[in-house]
Amino acid sequence: MSARGRGVRVTGDDRDVDRYDRRTFLGRSAAGAAALALGGIGGPVLLSGCSSSSSASTSAKPGVGTGTPKRGGTLTVGLNSDIDGFLPSTNHFDNSGIVYANTVYDTLTAVAADGTAQPYLAQSISSNADRTVWTLSLRPDVTFHDGSALTADVVVANFRALQQSPLTGQAVKVITGVSATGPLTVQYTASEPLVAFPYYLATQVGYVVALAQLDSADPSSHPIGTGPFVFDSWEPNDHFTARRNPNYWRAGLPYLDSITYKPIAQDQSRQSSLQSGTIELMVTRDPNAIVSLQRDPSFQQVTDANPAHGQNDVGFIYLNTAVDPLSDLTVRQALACATDTAQIAKLFGAGVLQPITSPYPEGSPYRAPDNGYPSYDLAKAKTLVAQAAPRHGGTIKVELATIPDPRLSELVQAVQSMWGAAGVQATVSQIEQVTFIDNLALGSFQAYTGDQFDAADPDENYVWWSPTSAGPPGTIALNFTRNKDPELEAALQAGRTNPDPSARAQAYQQVDTLLARDLPYLWLTTNVWSMTGTDKVQNFDNPTLPGGQPARGMTAGYFTPTEFWVEP
Amino acid sequence: MGRYVVTRLVQLVAITFLISVLVFLLVHLLPGDPTLAILGPNDTPTARHELLAQLGLDKSLLQQYWIWIRNVFSGNFGKSFLTGQTVANAIAVALPIDIELIIVSQAMAVIVAVPLALLAARRPNRLLDRIATTGSFGMLSIPTFVVAVLLVLVFAVQIHAFPATGYVRFTTDPAQNLRSVVLPSIALAFGSIAVYYRLLRADLIATMQEDYITMARSKGLSTTFILVRHALRPSSFTLLAGAGISIGSLFTGAFVVEVLFQLPGLGYQLVNAIYARDYLMVQGMALVAAVGYVVINFVVDFLLTVLDPRVRRA
Repeated sequence: MSARGRGVRVTGDDRDVDRYDRRTFLGRSAAGAAALALGGIGGPVLLSGCSSSSSASTSAKPGVGTGTPKRGGTLTVGLNSDIDGFLPSTNHFDNSGIVYANTVYDTLTAVAADGTAQPYLAQSISSNADRTVWTLSLRPDVTFHDGSALTADVVVANFRALQQSPLTGQAVKVITGVSATGPLTVQYTASEPLVAFPYYLATQVGYVVALAQLDSADPSSHPIGTGPFVFDSWEPNDHFTARRNPNYWRAGLPYLDSITYKPIAQDQSRQSSLQSGTIELMVTRDPNAIVSLQRDPSFQQVTDANPAHGQNDVGFIYLNTAVDPLSDLTVRQALACATDTAQIAKLFGAGVLQPITSPYPEGSPYRAPDNGYPSYDLAKAKTLVAQAAPRHGGTIKVELATIPDPRLSELVQAVQSMWGAAGVQATVSQIEQVTFIDNLALGSFQAYTGDQFDAADPDENYVWWSPTSAGPPGTIALNFTRNKDPELEAALQAGRTNPDPSARAQAYQQVDTLLARDLPYLWLTTNVWSMTGTDKVQNFDNPTLPGGQPARGMTAGYFTPTEFWVEP
Repeated sequence: MGRYVVTRLVQLVAITFLISVLVFLLVHLLPGDPTLAILGPNDTPTARHELLAQLGLDKSLLQQYWIWIRNVFSGNFGKSFLTGQTVANAIAVALPIDIELIIVSQAMAVIVAVPLALLAARRPNRLLDRIATTGSFGMLSIPTFVVAVLLVLVFAVQIHAFPATGYVRFTTDPAQNLRSVVLPSIALAFGSIAVYYRLLRADLIATMQEDYITMARSKGLSTTFILVRHALRPSSFTLLAGAGISIGSLFTGAFVVEVLFQLPGLGYQLVNAIYARDYLMVQGMALVAAVGYVVINFVVDFLLTVLDPRVRRA
């Protein structure tokens, strides 16, 4: 069955109908698995091992519950940051924000373990033939924590809030119309074919909050959702606590009576808190902490390394292609050749991080077999520097900066040394986060460290890579590197609008190749997140969807606690 | 005395006003734009313009200052740009943590430093004095964060006697509250013990050379009695002045300890607000910290005049 030329439909529980899944979406191409990562989304939905026939309850796999789930108890989880509020249209949901949101809200769709976007609060989602009109049917009898019903009108109101918000408006601007076509039916109209739309509904724009929250004078501080837990208290930079939702639409869930999140910014402090019993579960992406906790037999750990599907965040260096000397491709090539990513992974990866040459992981259908990314070659780097130097006053000078982070500070010093060996005079500095983002958006930088591009569908990175988002320095642009390659735009558009899986794979392989050719980014290493818990914490990485289908596990430090339980 | 107090109060008001201006200007001189912190990378010129107007940041600095200070006098410190939390509420949540940390840590410091200084001054340059003096050098040279990490490793991770992070409010659970502040208070007291010990020891030794002390000795009073009854009070002026500065600076200076122990005190919240360019939060908290510093030192000055009438006449 080809996905081309006909509509698609997915239902939450019935899998025999037309499906928006890997089979229809990507077909059975030689490329194999889709890389449909979850980019900053609230997708993973957990289902206990015992609640369906696909139980893994007898497994000793870390994060998978053993034995019968226990109802009750409380859990304290250490996160790496705090949230700035709970309104999806106005607040920034980083990984911790998504965890909070997944606790009190549900998304309309969620990503399954096989990489497909599946209905969640929605019962089904379908499109017309060219993917410009998407129709979503909601589950009946779902209520918010304030007792109000989930209806199409509420979903429409939520989407309009997203459209009107400066924060999320740009992300949904391709959707030009949204309306309730029935009590539980919503229709979205896009200005161009939007193949990846179901994936967008599994992100921040897919959370649905109650009208009472939307209409509140202070909608950011008191979340009212349909989620597994009901908001109890939030003290910024101290804790967030939610209690079990007794009327949760997923019968029998959640298991915990309450859950508390403690934002602990320092990895070392979080680790000490786990080891001292102050918290029972923690997330981290510090490679040293991951290794240290991995070696401790009193803990169980899961990581998102080597994802079967999807595209995780990667570590890299932004090169501003609009400013001298980095506007010179030869200089960027020289820097790429001078950067020994294997050495960087060895120095800072603790055996956890791997060097990369592409934003797409190994095995992704979107990764070009050979994208042509320059490999480490010091002699070639020196030659390129010698070629380019006369055009830049005889010396190549580059300012490399990062945020105040001990590991990144050491990393830029290592890179400085590598570039210096090739004859590039690099200066390094630390810039406080807000100014850092400010400079990136305004193009007031030369080379900055980066950590980005986690995405459920490759189209989610369109806005960062498209030349249409690249303004001149001094104006705000989301394409921070200001790379304006028309071929790249053509490839991104092909991937965005063409529903044919093979064509999309080909388009994004072209994107991969063009990024390696243009070099707006110097790819460094993978990023790996982990969750580590005491033996008391059960089933923290065994997600399934309402129909029993496995869901995608912890990704980029976010999860849903619906089916966690604790041993007494 | 009354005139002295009135004069100092007038000075306090003037200093507070100057601090408010300085805090306001410094916050607005920080590089970076709060709209970017709020809007994130999805910022657009239109959105930025709208937000600046919404936050009142499109007005002149003078207008912004006037609006802010007028509101402060009516008890309205404004709202966080980011979380919507009122600044007054954030201060009300954070300040008790700092006050408790200050009280417990300084009590610990005084309880250890004063007896130690008395013992050392009783027999200067003898074994105990040398050990204490050398030890105090060591305590001063060890950074607070190292002490904090060591305390956590030993007392939280190894023997599980105290929590590694977090703060429990006294009203929630008094026992857990005390457990949650013990390690951070020790970390904060560590440096203070050394400073207080050294200040008091030096003054005690100097005082013990005074004529009236020789007179007391000639009366056959014991050295311990003389130290406690006759030398301690006149020797405590420097200690008191030092404590005033130390306590005042702890209002926000406990930042490192608050980060390591995840205590959402004033310093921790203030630094987070600075990073986020949360102007009203920074202004409110910095103003409270500065006023706290000034008030503490005013109280110390007052105590000094009570203890030593010469100060009043100076």
